[in-house]
Amino acid sequence: MRNSLRNRRRSLLTIMSVAASLCLLGVLGAVYNNFYYSEASPHQALRLIVRNRVSLANPFPIAYRARILQVPGVEEAVILQWFGGTYKDARDTNNFFGRFAVEPERLFRVYPEYKLTDVERLGFERERSACIVGRKLANRLGFKLGDKLQIVGDIFPLTLDLTIRGIYDSANDNENLFFHYEYLNKGFGGGSRMDQISTLVIHVRSTDLVPVVSRSIDDLFRNSAVQTLTETEHSFQLSFLAFLGNVKLFFLMISSAVAFTMFLITANTMAMSVRERTREVGILKTIGFTPSEILRILIGESITIALIGAAVGLWLANALVGLLRNAPSTFADFSAIRMPNEIIWIGFGAAAVLGVVACFVPAWNASRLSIIDALRVSD
Amino acid sequence: MSPATQEPVIRTRNLTKEYRRQEYHVYALREASIDIRRGEFVALMGPSGSGKSTLLHLIAAMDRPTDGEILVLGHDLRSMSESAVARWRNAHIGFIFQSFNLIPVLTALENVELPLKLTRLSRRERLDHAKWALELVGLGDRLTHTPRQMSGGQEQRVAIARALVTDPDLILADEPTGNLDSNSAKEVLTLLTRLNKEFGKTVVMVTHDPHAARTAGHVRYLEKGMLLPNGEVPEDWAPIHHVG
Ligand SMILES: Nc1ncnc2c1ncn2[C@@H]1O[C@H](COP(=O)(O)OP(=O)(O)OP(=O)(O)O)[C@@H](O)[C@H]1O
Ligand SMILES: [Mg+2]
Repeated sequence: MRNSLRNRRRSLLTIMSVAASLCLLGVLGAVYNNFYYSEASPHQALRLIVRNRVSLANPFPIAYRARILQVPGVEEAVILQWFGGTYKDARDTNNFFGRFAVEPERLFRVYPEYKLTDVERLGFERERSACIVGRKLANRLGFKLGDKLQIVGDIFPLTLDLTIRGIYDSANDNENLFFHYEYLNKGFGGGSRMDQISTLVIHVRSTDLVPVVSRSIDDLFRNSAVQTLTETEHSFQLSFLAFLGNVKLFFLMISSAVAFTMFLITANTMAMSVRERTREVGILKTIGFTPSEILRILIGESITIALIGAAVGLWLANALVGLLRNAPSTFADFSAIRMPNEIIWIGFGAAAVLGVVACFVPAWNASRLSIIDALRVSD
Repeated sequence: MSPATQEPVIRTRNLTKEYRRQEYHVYALREASIDIRRGEFVALMGPSGSGKSTLLHLIAAMDRPTDGEILVLGHDLRSMSESAVARWRNAHIGFIFQSFNLIPVLTALENVELPLKLTRLSRRERLDHAKWALELVGLGDRLTHTPRQMSGGQEQRVAIARALVTDPDLILADEPTGNLDSNSAKEVLTLLTRLNKEFGKTVVMVTHDPHAARTAGHVRYLEKGMLLPNGEVPEDWAPIHHVG
């Protein structure tokens, strides 16, 4: 029966509250999936990242590289030194982007997906104050070849004066700035930071060697004063998140608290809409509907409404995920975020369960109420 | 004058309905015994609270008696399960309320079609039957209107169409003209009379209105839950002529 859909105000309210809760869950699910379950790209799968075992904040000596390059399966190793600093007005989040000191001649062997014209690449390699920026970043901030920009250091007390010599293309990670490690290292002027790095990125010959190489590298320094931790780029990104706190747990807690609250609100709306129809139940009974038919109608309608709400909410979530995908990856990289099928099925399943659970008790009571009592209820 | 046969379609013996809740104790109906024969048009009258609605509800099996016997169309209602009673009501009873009780979100046609959804009829047949019933009550041009778009008189005629669409044996009406102006009331009474005369339906109607009661073949009075003997009128009751 399509009665339920005719009462627009009531149904819309219910649909909206189901939609809101599923939209939220959908987006959270997609974000969670993006962080913890996304698959590594073929290039990513060949990369390992070496860092100090203690934490990302502790560096290790560049000298380690020579020994690491000896490990069978290691093809190349490039320094990837994070440099914080500020560009222009730090209060404008548009001015946030990654800045990394690298070795230009090695960078493209480890990151072959970064595409640059030969002219631009030579321009980058030849000049110590040269830098390259990702296409998406260049578009965002209007950078052109030859532009000069200044990054004022914070953790590293150093001001960088750079000239853009190239704009690279890449499917993801195209919002970074890369400059010469040599420029940075010289700037340390012999201090304790000299020749110390926080991350080294390894390119491995083939994916099946990745676990062995990772173990071999860490074994090399097992008995050294500074030990290393070598992990895949993907798990490195996760440990970077973990560096900020127990993000995963925090995330799960937030989503379950939000989901629980929304479900309660929705369940209440749905239960109320059944109770509002007590008089209608009396009419249906007078006409000859049996209690079980009425129960079936009420639950069926509740499920229908919940599923419509789910469809709207998940559609909306999908649209939001699309927006996230195209948004500047200022705080986190969402360039590959997508709505996983599992989330869709879980969403529809949860909505159907919600539809049944929320209305079962009031629907049962309404279906058992005597006609006289049901008709006495005024609407 | 009436085509009434000897066969009683409604037969009650000492039918009693008691309400008891803690200190509250009332006999809504007390040992009522009545025989209504096929084709009769009976009006039930009496002061407010005298048990008229209670009797009608018991006849329609919308409520269960506390004591006594009730046989409607040969069925002992007390021995039937709730779902059996529901099916039976769908097939044999058309009930008309004072407050119409249409489903506000459905159109006139859909409201009238509703009882047919419990039958084996196809959608096509259901709609044909519903249209026919609405035409019979003079609302053939209001099929797609919702109750809110109709006058009280029109709403009540939709309710009558809904009550007759399943071709029931019994039409039970609880103050069907109570909420209507005199013109609409007249239309409703004319319709009930037609159902009785042309279609041979047995009609039991509760009413406060002596004019309405006069349409009926018989009038029975109730007082304080008691059904007065045939022909008897409550003591301080305004004199009315009743036919039959
Ligand atoms: N569900 C109930 N619980 C308690 N008492 C009830 C209930 N239903 C009816 N009564 C009582 O039973 C008595 C008869 O009620 P009933 O509705 O049959 O009267 P009525 O003749 O239809 O009156 P009216 O003309 O006002 O409609 C009244 O005293 C009423 O208060
Ligand atoms: Mg009454």
